[in-house]
Amino acid sequence: MSRLELLTPEGLRVDGRRPNELRKIIAKTSVLAQADGSAYIEQGNTKVLAAVYGPQEVRHRMQILHDRAIINVEFNVAPFSTSERKKRSKNDKYDNGIKLQTSQFPRSQIDIYLQVLQHDGGTLQACINAATMALIDAGIPMIDYVCASTAGCIDKQPVLDLNYLEESSDSPELTVAILPRTGKVNLMSMESRLHVDMLESVASLATEGCEQIHTILDAVVRDTTQHLKDSLMQ
Amino acid sequence: MVREADPSLNEKQFVLQSLKEGLRVDGRRPYDFRSLQLSFHSDFGHVQVQLGRTRVSAKVSAEVVRPRADKPTEGLLLFNTEISPMASPAFEVGRPSEEEVLISRTIEKALRRSRAVDTEGLCIVAGEKVWSIRVDLHFFDHEGNLVDCACIAAITALLHFRRPDVTVIGEEVTIHSLDQRNPVPLSVHHIPICVSFSFFDGGELLVVDPSILEEQIREGDMTIAMNIHKEICALSKAGGIPLEMDQIIRCSKIATTKTAEITEMIQKALADDKAKRQAK
Amino acid sequence: MDVQILSPEAPSKSNSHKNQNAMDVDGGDVQLVMPGETITSDLQFMRGHGTYLDSESTVISSVAGVVERVNKLISVRALKARYTGEIGDIVVGRITEVAPKRWKVNVNGRQDAILMLSAISLPGGIQRRKNEEDELQMRKFFAEGDMVAAEVQAFFVDGAIGLHTRGHQFSKLRNGSLVVVPSALVQRCKSHFHLLPCGVHLVLGLNGYIWVSKPVIGNPESTDEADIERTYSNKNDIIDDAERESIARVCNCLRALARKFMHINDTIIIYTYEASLKYPVKDLLKKDVVDSITSEASHKLTME
Repeated sequence: MSRLELLTPEGLRVDGRRPNELRKIIAKTSVLAQADGSAYIEQGNTKVLAAVYGPQEVRHRMQILHDRAIINVEFNVAPFSTSERKKRSKNDKYDNGIKLQTSQFPRSQIDIYLQVLQHDGGTLQACINAATMALIDAGIPMIDYVCASTAGCIDKQPVLDLNYLEESSDSPELTVAILPRTGKVNLMSMESRLHVDMLESVASLATEGCEQIHTILDAVVRDTTQHLKDSLMQ
Repeated sequence: MVREADPSLNEKQFVLQSLKEGLRVDGRRPYDFRSLQLSFHSDFGHVQVQLGRTRVSAKVSAEVVRPRADKPTEGLLLFNTEISPMASPAFEVGRPSEEEVLISRTIEKALRRSRAVDTEGLCIVAGEKVWSIRVDLHFFDHEGNLVDCACIAAITALLHFRRPDVTVIGEEVTIHSLDQRNPVPLSVHHIPICVSFSFFDGGELLVVDPSILEEQIREGDMTIAMNIHKEICALSKAGGIPLEMDQIIRCSKIATTKTAEITEMIQKALADDKAKRQAK
Repeated sequence: MDVQILSPEAPSKSNSHKNQNAMDVDGGDVQLVMPGETITSDLQFMRGHGTYLDSESTVISSVAGVVERVNKLISVRALKARYTGEIGDIVVGRITEVAPKRWKVNVNGRQDAILMLSAISLPGGIQRRKNEEDELQMRKFFAEGDMVAAEVQAFFVDGAIGLHTRGHQFSKLRNGSLVVVPSALVQRCKSHFHLLPCGVHLVLGLNGYIWVSKPVIGNPESTDEADIERTYSNKNDIIDDAERESIARVCNCLRALARKFMHINDTIIIYTYEASLKYPVKDLLKKDVVDSITSEASHKLTME
């Protein structure tokens, strides 16, 4: 099999992006009627829908925690999301590592449902971003946004926000989620091999991506909130 | 579900206070691993690893199967984890707990996704017959840090394992039994070693190879899988307290030295076992 | 599942960032903050709901919403969140469970509210200690699924809301239908029980549950045995077609207001109702009709 050229000699990537360029992000909140909070995010061709229910009464009394809320995350990948249309395991759980102030809701439960509608690399980061937006939309107190971004390394060149082609070509992929205010790392996960000396540069590129995403998400949430406030203050 | 009782407040305070003074309750220093013991059984690919009092046994077996349609020239590598209530009352029979799922995911990431085992070398007839290598991990005793222990057990068992030799003449495939021909080892590209960290006191304090008490008290955790070539094969930090990026970089440096130590130990144990077998 | 924006409509970009650096908490302009945003680093302020302190005692928002300040207390109110009660609030709830000596009531909060057996009025209007006999027939008063209007009386240690239904205006709800709106829309006002000119009775629960019904006949203040019996009755009165239509119209007006995310009080409901009379009830939730009746109502409101 001929190896796919992932970086042109001019330093452009398969989809024409520069190495440190994010894909286009479209985000919306309050997309679902029933959920307390919901969000839809597109990062390039990766599309994720998130819904948040709660805090609400705990469904199974056995699970009640007396000092904080329990958080349930269900993650589902639509079978039509990839070009191969294969069935994927349904209960593939991601611990989102979302930083909530759960101690404010004793004896209650927060459900987060994530649905990947289209998969083009970076599912985890899109899910984290969508869940953050949905939680904010539901008015659940959080320490800060949790913004996630991926970065990889192609031919010793750190690249930001891998798409499916780049992801599946055996290049390392690092997902980082940060709290933008303090810049602290909330989640970090890596697959495939990466030399330890490269870690720092790849991680800092991913962090940069997180900050860019934060700006985008913040603008969306701010606009939505402003709009709600305006209609209230009429 | 039986929820394990949390350690008492006094215990918590004691552990934290001593950590602040650079001491650990079991007498180790923050960056020390517990003693590691590897013992091999008489048959190939059966290893028991003891890390402190955490005990995991790994058994590798092989069978010939049809390859997957989308990857006709690749053999299969399967991992199966079995955590029984024998190890700790927190685990239940039948239903995999969240911890168990996380452990098997980390091990799969570290060993499969990093292509530690040459799966293409497991092909016998393309699209028809390939070897399916199955690693069964059994957890006997849980004194903390199951991941690292399981990872060491799995990779040692894979290194120790010998599969029956095969010859292909035209369409005909002959699998030679062990006494006919010497069995052949798997080709293992590199040896990924998991190193787990636990963080305390808002991420300020960290320890390597947490014991069960430290695991219960910790505020955050991270696992780095690395090989001797200083390549990170997997890294996972999900949830817990947020950390500074510098801290993570520092952990990766610690992991490098720990990986070298453990790899050396594994190779020595394997060499000893080989010598013992030849002496027989 | 079709993905579409239900509410709010696509936001306008125009004035979104104008308040970003407004540090002046006393200013007349309402300040909008996002999670993780610093509200003030002034040490004299205290943190309230929706905020937290970091190590340098800077007050930081934890929700997206508007900053509210009462003297030195700073809190942030999320515009779309579950109901958090305050003592004295009138709420509408649904019984979810009959438990020993208490009912659990869903009030759109983060956990079910509790209505103690001792906090309801008994038929006969007599004030007496509730005895074992009452405990055995709790379902005669409220059974699972019943709707009830109640007042927030107290908070339990774990944050659960304690309700009471003592008083003539609180009762089991019937003869009507429920409309659910975001709880932030319902404003606190003097009365939450309204008899509209169109002959429809409203209970505006502060938790966002609104009960629209035919008014109960009979003098509610009388302690007549028959009237009190009616408090716990499960039977609907006879409602004729005209009454049904006005109830449906009020319901749809409320839904229209909620869709435009506008504050809900009796005046705006009356204005919206009047504006809606041009259209048949079934058309009220069409997008252009919603736009037209709500803007007409809010215009009328500002004219005053």
